[in-house]
Amino acid sequence: MQEAELHDLSDDADYAASQQQGSSSMMRCDSGKRSSSSEPEGAQIVYLKDNVTIHPTQFASERISGRLKLIKQGSSLFMTWIPHKGQSTNARLSEKDRNLYTIRSVPFADVKSIRRHTPAFGWQYIIVLLSFGLAFPPLYFYNGGVREFLATVKQHVLLVRSAEDSNVFLVNDFQNPLQRTLSSLEIPRAVSAVSVPSTPVSVGESTSQQNEERIDVSASVPQYNGRHRQKGHDPARDISIQVLEKFSLVTKFARETTSQLFRETHNNGFGPLERRNSNQSTLDYSHKPSDYDEDVPIRHPVEPDPLEKVPHRILKHVDKVAINVGTFEPNQFKDFDKLSLVWGKPRQPPMGLEEWTSFLDSEGRVVDPKALRKRIFYGGVEHKFRKEVWALLLGYHAYESTYAEREYQKSIKKTEYETIKNQWQSISHEQAKRFTKFRERKGLIEKDVVRTDRSISFYDGDDNPNVNLLHDILLTYSFYNFDLGYCQGMSDLLSPILFVMEDESESFWCFVALMERLGPNFNRDQNGMHSQLFALSKLVELLDIPLHNYFKQNDCLNYFFCFRWILIQFKRELEYEKTMRMWEVLWTHHLSEHLHLYVCVAILKRYRSKIIGEQMDFDTLLKFINELSGQIDLDATLRDAEALCICAGENGAACIPPGTPPSLPVEDGSFYNQQDDDAL
Amino acid sequence: MAKVSPLAKYKLVFLGDQSVGKTSIITRFMYDKFDTTYQATIGIDFLSKTMYLEDRTVRLQLWDTAGQERFRSLIPSYIRDSSVAVIAYDVANRQSFLNTSKWVEEVRTERGSDVIIVLVGNKTDLVDKRQVSIEEGDNKAREFGIMFIETSAKAGFNIKPLFRKIAAALPGMETLSSTKQEDMVDVNLKSGGNSSQNTEQQGGGCAC
Repeated sequence: MQEAELHDLSDDADYAASQQQGSSSMMRCDSGKRSSSSEPEGAQIVYLKDNVTIHPTQFASERISGRLKLIKQGSSLFMTWIPHKGQSTNARLSEKDRNLYTIRSVPFADVKSIRRHTPAFGWQYIIVLLSFGLAFPPLYFYNGGVREFLATVKQHVLLVRSAEDSNVFLVNDFQNPLQRTLSSLEIPRAVSAVSVPSTPVSVGESTSQQNEERIDVSASVPQYNGRHRQKGHDPARDISIQVLEKFSLVTKFARETTSQLFRETHNNGFGPLERRNSNQSTLDYSHKPSDYDEDVPIRHPVEPDPLEKVPHRILKHVDKVAINVGTFEPNQFKDFDKLSLVWGKPRQPPMGLEEWTSFLDSEGRVVDPKALRKRIFYGGVEHKFRKEVWALLLGYHAYESTYAEREYQKSIKKTEYETIKNQWQSISHEQAKRFTKFRERKGLIEKDVVRTDRSISFYDGDDNPNVNLLHDILLTYSFYNFDLGYCQGMSDLLSPILFVMEDESESFWCFVALMERLGPNFNRDQNGMHSQLFALSKLVELLDIPLHNYFKQNDCLNYFFCFRWILIQFKRELEYEKTMRMWEVLWTHHLSEHLHLYVCVAILKRYRSKIIGEQMDFDTLLKFINELSGQIDLDATLRDAEALCICAGENGAACIPPGTPPSLPVEDGSFYNQQDDDAL
Repeated sequence: MAKVSPLAKYKLVFLGDQSVGKTSIITRFMYDKFDTTYQATIGIDFLSKTMYLEDRTVRLQLWDTAGQERFRSLIPSYIRDSSVAVIAYDVANRQSFLNTSKWVEEVRTERGSDVIIVLVGNKTDLVDKRQVSIEEGDNKAREFGIMFIETSAKAGFNIKPLFRKIAAALPGMETLSSTKQEDMVDVNLKSGGNSSQNTEQQGGGCAC
């Protein structure tokens, strides 16, 4: 690898600069004594794992997945990590980047230690530290396998768990380099040794202290601003820290930016959402003043101005009530000194007949799906058009389909539905006796449909036929998607769909379309829920550090108190009509597929001073959140969510792991091909 | 009044299959009402209630869980520090009764013997549909060495006794007589005395 290549790796100057710092040590393992071929000759592969990934930047699109191997040759063990070929979806990810990160045949004789990280959510990762101080970037095991990795290493080299930190594994620890190892690994301890609260450096310092348990990507890059000033006089900072920084320029920058946006004009420590609310009673917030108790002492030092680092400035004159985010241009506000969070656009009335027909051509095609989705985002749809609009938003019908095509599909799909339904209808009593799984599923569904929205007139009373329809559709779905089956919460998702579609087959197919996206919420391993809760924790960290820190201190970072919100898309939190409004707004995927996560942040921020002021512990918080049901102001919350989403921008998107529901799984496009053109 | 610790808090986690009546038992206890249009519990719900016993006051924190198996991965962290696990089944649903063994084992795995477990057979009002006899419930409870009671949240039967029984068995209550006679009369009349006698032995705190 040539030194010159290292200089123009990226169009990000800071990134390039940090590359340069570490390049000399990188060179040593790259171009040194070892062969540059990926595997030594006569080698035996003793461990192989694909989708071991590094995160060079905060952008999800720039992550590099590769194959990690342990190779045994003679009595030596080598580690290699080679990026997968042709996986790049990003033009910025050049072959040079890949070469830079490639780990070629590092002998374990050169490895000092391996540190394992197990975040509460997200992927396990390891950091391999070499004996001359270099650390490789964190290797994220997307498909698991850390334990096997360590077990395999242990079979071939001396691997000892550090007495001081059970997550550090010392390699070939014949002498006792423990202190040295720890001092180079324990970044928070080292960094916190220099903490001067009012200097720019300290901003990063305090952050890294708060993150000390998991030296995740955000914690290991505390010095984005202060690094150059600091590194000359800080003996505690091992070279490995700089290397880690280099590889981990992730959320710190983004976090500072957004928190700055939230704080800049509000030195009292309150986010602008609350602030605005307490100052401007003309807005349509309908919460008690006690929710915004200004006396709550949650002050934190005002951070130095990182304005020059703000990538997407969302500015407005302080005296303006709102700006039109629809015409928002990030750069045009560049020179304003005063920052404030942009407000979500006021909601419009629901889309009526005239407007709806204006989006259609004479044969019923939606001429501009993007414009339609945007319109629905800002106000929803009148109920009588939901039937048509939902089928489009959910992807059951294609935007470019004509009236006639939709009618045709309807009849085809009806036949298809009947076929699947017949699969369980034809199960005789005798057969059912021998079909436990069927009986169980049927039993679960029967128990849940009779307690789904029975207070709504559409489902109330004895022997309500619509309750039977819920049953039949859910049981048919559990045959259509036998692997997923039936899970509690599904009846909540189906109920409004049936209410809107008023047709069994149409409801079924719309439900199928919805479940294509939300199915992972109900997976046995709860993976979809875990990734959403993880993303939520990252978004709060990005958008409200004090609240994040509060949750962290109170063991609330699992965000289980938001479980119900996410699992059934706020269905239990809002009245029926408002649930439908919320859903159609979320389904537009205008601004983000994951707006629902920003809705969560918006609600949490709205009550942050109450949560923090009353020092709620996990139990109390869960109770409080559950009791918010029916008290959430939909329009205000959506506006806040929109503002937060815009504010977070790409940094927000980077908080959300790929494939997080309601994103479609990447490899599976079969049912949704017609949506590709319209994807945001 | 010997108030040992007026604000002593105890965590109770309610477990058991879907639709056996966990939420209904809690709602009957909390608000003395029964509503047929309950929604299935999603995730975890949390309620708390102060119980004024003769000789002390306790704060019961009630964790209501979703019944479906695939939500169980959420539950262990809540079991971890709860004092009491209430494992409910539906007397009109044999499978829910059989599944209580799994729940008991799960709690034992998580908490060892450092937890009070109560087996609750709910829906005794469904007389014609009963699939599990009181003796079966009683035997199972003996087998596991746990407390047992039958209830009907719908009829309001044995709900208060259930909680008094729990309160009496809470740590630090062994020497205290905390159950009022009149509450337990109800038990004896309607359940034939079998369950209450059994739980007296198991719970070790009942005075009647």
